[in-house]
Amino acid sequence: MLQLSGMVVVGSRKDNLRDLARDYWRALDATNQTFELIFIIDGHQDDAVSELEKVRSADKLPIKIVQLSRSFGDATALMCGVDLALGETIVTLPAYYQVDPEELPALIQQATECDVLLVRRNPRRGGKFERFRRRVFHRILEAITDYRFSDLGCYVRVLDRKVLQELRLYGDQHRFLPVLARNAGFTITEVDAKQSKHDDFRSRYRAREYLHRLLDIFTIFFLVRFTKKPLRFFGMIGSLIGIAGGLILAVLVVERLFMGVALADRPALLLSSLLVVLGLQLFSLGLLGELIIFTHARSLKEYKIAEIIGADDSGAQNETSQPTLN
Amino acid sequence: MFTVLPAKICWKYLNLIKYMRNQYDLSVVVPFLNEEESIRHMYDAVMSAVEPLERPFEVIFVDDGSTDRTLEIGRELAAEDDRLRIISFRRNYGQTPAMAAGIDHARGRVIVTMDGDLQNDPRDIGALLEKIEEGYDLVVGWRHNRQDKLISRKIPSFIANRLIGKVTGVPIKDNGCSLKAYRADIIQNVPLYAEMHRFIPAMAAIAGPRIAEIKVRHHARNFGSSKYGLSRVYKVLLDLLTIKTLTGFFSRPTLWFSLLGMPFALLGILFSIATVFSFFTTGSFPMPMAGTGLLFIALSMFLFFNGILGELVYNTGETRTEDFARMTISSRSDNDSATLIKEFDTK
Repeated sequence: MLQLSGMVVVGSRKDNLRDLARDYWRALDATNQTFELIFIIDGHQDDAVSELEKVRSADKLPIKIVQLSRSFGDATALMCGVDLALGETIVTLPAYYQVDPEELPALIQQATECDVLLVRRNPRRGGKFERFRRRVFHRILEAITDYRFSDLGCYVRVLDRKVLQELRLYGDQHRFLPVLARNAGFTITEVDAKQSKHDDFRSRYRAREYLHRLLDIFTIFFLVRFTKKPLRFFGMIGSLIGIAGGLILAVLVVERLFMGVALADRPALLLSSLLVVLGLQLFSLGLLGELIIFTHARSLKEYKIAEIIGADDSGAQNETSQPTLN
Repeated sequence: MFTVLPAKICWKYLNLIKYMRNQYDLSVVVPFLNEEESIRHMYDAVMSAVEPLERPFEVIFVDDGSTDRTLEIGRELAAEDDRLRIISFRRNYGQTPAMAAGIDHARGRVIVTMDGDLQNDPRDIGALLEKIEEGYDLVVGWRHNRQDKLISRKIPSFIANRLIGKVTGVPIKDNGCSLKAYRADIIQNVPLYAEMHRFIPAMAAIAGPRIAEIKVRHHARNFGSSKYGLSRVYKVLLDLLTIKTLTGFFSRPTLWFSLLGMPFALLGILFSIATVFSFFTTGSFPMPMAGTGLLFIALSMFLFFNGILGELVYNTGETRTEDFARMTISSRSDNDSATLIKEFDTK
């Protein structure tokens, strides 16, 4: 086993990989720990591979390169990396400059106390709107999950190996790893680090990106709050819609019975029954969800045990060696 | 050599191991959440109540992610007494997971659960145990002179208990009482998650246990504050619906969803007939009426196919009705063989 595994997932956004690899290598080397540096290339990127090969051949730095057969997304690539990594502590690093690499040894030093060390880029560049956008994102997340983070977009993270092994990430969950880790009960600290001068945030946020973030937040909301209680989630939405429909329907029926307003020709009838139907459909999805949870409940242990104190089996056996009548 | 066994077979072996591991007569499971004032009292009370029973026992305290000194005090207690085990959670998960963790790790043949806030009296454990030994699978405590506020606690819980009894068919007077005793091989096989602790008897009812209810003492809170308030009517209602679905229909989802869809199918057909009738009598074609009819028919179809999906879920799941059936058979035949052996001995 090694002490450290540096892990770089190379996706669509990347800086000059050769410089980056050399900088990261130098930073990890400065920690005086045994380490490895793994580059996981998410999909076919021949230019990236040739750049990294140059690091191996010309710069004589034995970095490891993992080529995935197609693009699976950051989280899956990271999990592939974890399966191959030999380090006790895993340092995830972006394939572009976010934090000044010179800060890394100090950060890794600080990570011994906790399971997950998050890095907050501070002081951080960016205009007023940029800062506002960031704050809104983190506030929404806090409102939904009760967990406060200040820089989820920073992918420089120092994690205990067991964190990644336990949280099987998928899809776009890489960004929300801290939320999921907190939810699983791991200890998390955030520290400040200097932002790299190459860190370029502009033109990253287009309209589609906003939509993605919004859907991500919704998914996280469901995962964190309602995983074991699908009926609460679907039932909440379903009963609101259903009750709204039921109320309109009741008004229509009362009007038909006591005021002589014809029922059959009113478009409101269609609207109200549509709402009732939609509400019930959501409700039945919730019930189906409950069925899924129930039939798998034995393998889904809800709680995470930190430690068992006094679990001394040998002592217990001696104590109860006397025969007992059932 | 090691081979990968299917999850189901693993589960069965695990059960066997668990059964063999059950080496105590009694496990007392107590969850704690921020009870630094009462944990020591609780420990003394439990020990002094259980020791006179003269049976091998263990006590399991589950620390549900307390933020005060509960865990520290528990650690001190466990260091001095190896009959006590502490399970500590990484964070706060809630009462049901805490109970579930204690039950999963219990090694007694009978498991007694109770609250950690001294509202239940450990002196009742003996009576519960006696009932279990009479042949009941599950004994439920009933706080007959409950020391709580009338308006905010007693009346809502009276209504809730009646409702739960009516819907689940397990008429227990006090579902909220944590003081209960179970045969380990029943409760360790009932899936416990989310906030199901209030419905454990109803859940266990899938296995058809013999349930007894006895009066237990109840004390007003001396320390700390109540962690469970009133604003949960909605949650209880939804949970109740879930329980009803699961206990009654979890192996027959098509039937359940078809029953749900049936009234809408009838309503839809009625509306459609009314539309056609109105077309022939008045010559006009009422669109909203026709649309509503079709919508309701579509809903019933949707529900029916949801049921089919439910069959798929049940088929691929791990929890099956046979398991519950088997569970009761084994526990009954155990008893029978025990009595047979006794008779044989006396001859």
